[in-house]
Amino acid sequence: MMSKEDLLQQVSEQIVAYDADKLIESVKNALEHNVPSYEIVLAMSKGMQVVGHKFEDKEYFLPDLLMAAEAMKTAMDVLGPYVTTAKATATGKVLIGTVEGDIHDIGKNIVVIFLKSAGFEVYDLGTDVPAKRFIEEAKAVNPDILGMSGLLSTSLPAMGEVIEALKREGMRGRMKVLLGGSPVTDDFGKRVGADATTNEAISGIRIMENWMKEKA
Amino acid sequence: MLALEGKQPDRVPVVLYPRYNALRYAQHTFAEALDDPEKYVAAQLSAQRRFQYDSVHDYNMMGPVEEAMGRPAGFKLKYVKDDAPMVEASVKIKASPDLEKLNAKVDPSIDGLCPKVLWVVKQLKLRTMEKGEPRVPVITWGSCPSRTAAVLMGYDQWFMLLIRNPELAMEFMELCIGPWLDMVISEVDSGADLVWVNDPVSSADCISRAHYEKYTQPYEKKFIAAIKDRTGVPVIFHPCGNWHDRLDLVAQNGADALFPGTMDLSLVYEKTMGVNNVKALNGGVGSARPNTKDLKGTTLAEDATTLLNGKPEEVEREAKRAIKIGTQRGPGFLLGGNCFPPLDVPLINIDALVYSARKYGEYPISI
Repeated sequence: MMSKEDLLQQVSEQIVAYDADKLIESVKNALEHNVPSYEIVLAMSKGMQVVGHKFEDKEYFLPDLLMAAEAMKTAMDVLGPYVTTAKATATGKVLIGTVEGDIHDIGKNIVVIFLKSAGFEVYDLGTDVPAKRFIEEAKAVNPDILGMSGLLSTSLPAMGEVIEALKREGMRGRMKVLLGGSPVTDDFGKRVGADATTNEAISGIRIMENWMKEKA
Repeated sequence: MLALEGKQPDRVPVVLYPRYNALRYAQHTFAEALDDPEKYVAAQLSAQRRFQYDSVHDYNMMGPVEEAMGRPAGFKLKYVKDDAPMVEASVKIKASPDLEKLNAKVDPSIDGLCPKVLWVVKQLKLRTMEKGEPRVPVITWGSCPSRTAAVLMGYDQWFMLLIRNPELAMEFMELCIGPWLDMVISEVDSGADLVWVNDPVSSADCISRAHYEKYTQPYEKKFIAAIKDRTGVPVIFHPCGNWHDRLDLVAQNGADALFPGTMDLSLVYEKTMGVNNVKALNGGVGSARPNTKDLKGTTLAEDATTLLNGKPEEVEREAKRAIKIGTQRGPGFLLGGNCFPPLDVPLINIDALVYSARKYGEYPISI
C-alpha cells in the first residue's frame, strides 16, 4: 500500500507531467485513501511551483504552462465536492481583470491559475473591464492586491484611469496595484502610480507572494 | 525598395508601421477609418506627406481572411472604437473534421473585410503614383499560418494543440496557407509593393526552439516561399517577441528583410544579415539594449517604448545607434520603431525619427 506521501508525490508529478487523465486517477486514488482534500490541493500547488520554475528556466514554455494549468483545473473539478471541507489556505485576496478595450487574457488566466494554486483567493473579472466595475468590485471584495492586465498599448490609459479612480474613492492606500502585459513598462507603472509592473505571469506571482509575505 | 535589394539608396529610408499615428494625425478613430476606408487612405497619405517617412500601409492585422475562413464555424470579430477588430468568438478545433467547417476557399474580392483591404491598397498605390511619389512603397500584410491558426482557435487552445495533437496543428497550418496566399496575391495585384509577414506565436516567450523548428517554421517558410514565387515582391518578416535563441532559424525563412522589433539589433544583425538572402533589417528605435541578459543568461528583448515615452533627443540617439549598427557592412537598413507606433506616440517623435535618418543616414554613412 502506498503511503500518503507517495500518493501526494504522485499528484505533484502528474501536474508537472500535465497528464490530466493520470492526474485525476492520482487524485481519486488519494481520496480513496482518505488523504484530506486540502493536502491534495497543496500537492498540486507544489507541482505548479515546479512548473513555474521550469518555465523560468526555459525548460517549459507557454504550451506546457497552459497544459499544467488546465490539468489542475480539471482535477479541481473532481475535487470540488471535497474542497468545501478543505482547510482554508488563503494567503491573500486578489482582484484581477483585463482592462477596458482589451480582450486578451492568456497571461491573466495563467496568473489566476498560479495564484489559486499558491493559495490566493482570486476574484477574476474577465476581460474588457471598465474602471467603474474595478472600483465596485474592489469595494465589495476589499482585495489585498488589484491586478490589471492588457496586451494592447491602447490599454495603457485605462490602467491609469482605474488607479485615478481608486485615488478619488480614497481606496488607493488599501491595496497594492500590479500592472501586467507586454506594453507595460516600469516607467509607465511609476507614472500612473502602480506599485509594480510585470511582463510575465510567473514573475507577477513572485511579486504578489512577496507583498503578502511583507504584509504578514 | 533599393535597400531591400541590398543596393545603396541615397539615404537610410524610414519604414515604420504608421497605422495608429497616421489616424491620430488625421484625427480619426480606427472604427471611423474602418467604416469609411477613404478616411484611412487619406490619413495614410496626409501623414506620409507631413512626416516624410518612406512608406504607406494598408489596415494591417485586421483578420480579414480569418474572419472569412472562420465565419461558417462561428468565428466572430468584435469591433472596437480605437483599434483593429478583436476576436470575440473562436472556433473549436479538436479533430480533423473540425477543419472542414472552415471556409478554405476565401475569395478576397467578395469575402468579408477583404475587399475593403484591397480597395485601400489600390487607392494608396494610385494616389502615391498620381502625386509623383512612386518611391513610396505600399506595404501590405500577410498572416503566417501559425498566427492564423492561433487567431482562429484562440491562442491558449492553439498552444495546447501543439502539445496534444501536433499532427492536427500542422494540418491546420497547411489549411491556413491557401486563403492567405490568395489574399496576398490580390493585395499585390491591387498595387502592394511589399508584404509584411509576422509571427507573434513562435517566439521563445511562447514555444520552444524545437517546437518552432519542427512544427511552425516549416509552414512559415512555405508561406513566404509561395508569396515570393507567386508575386515576386519582397517580404519583410517580423519575428514578434524574443527570438534571440532561434535567430539562425529565422534567417532560413526566405524573407528579404527582418523587422526584429524589440530584440537586440546588433545580435540580429550578426546572426542574420547576409544569411540565406537576408538583405536588410528594419527597425532599431526601441530595440533591446545590446547584450542585456537576465540572471540566467537569457538575452532580453524588453518592450522599450522610446517612441511612445521618450524625448525627441532619445529617439535621435537610438536612431543614430541603429543606423550605425544596421549599415556597418553596407546598405540594407530601414530605420523604424520596434512595433506599430502606438496611438499616443507624440508626433514630434516621428519627426525626430525622420530627422535622424536624414542627419545620420546619408550614404556614405560616417557616424
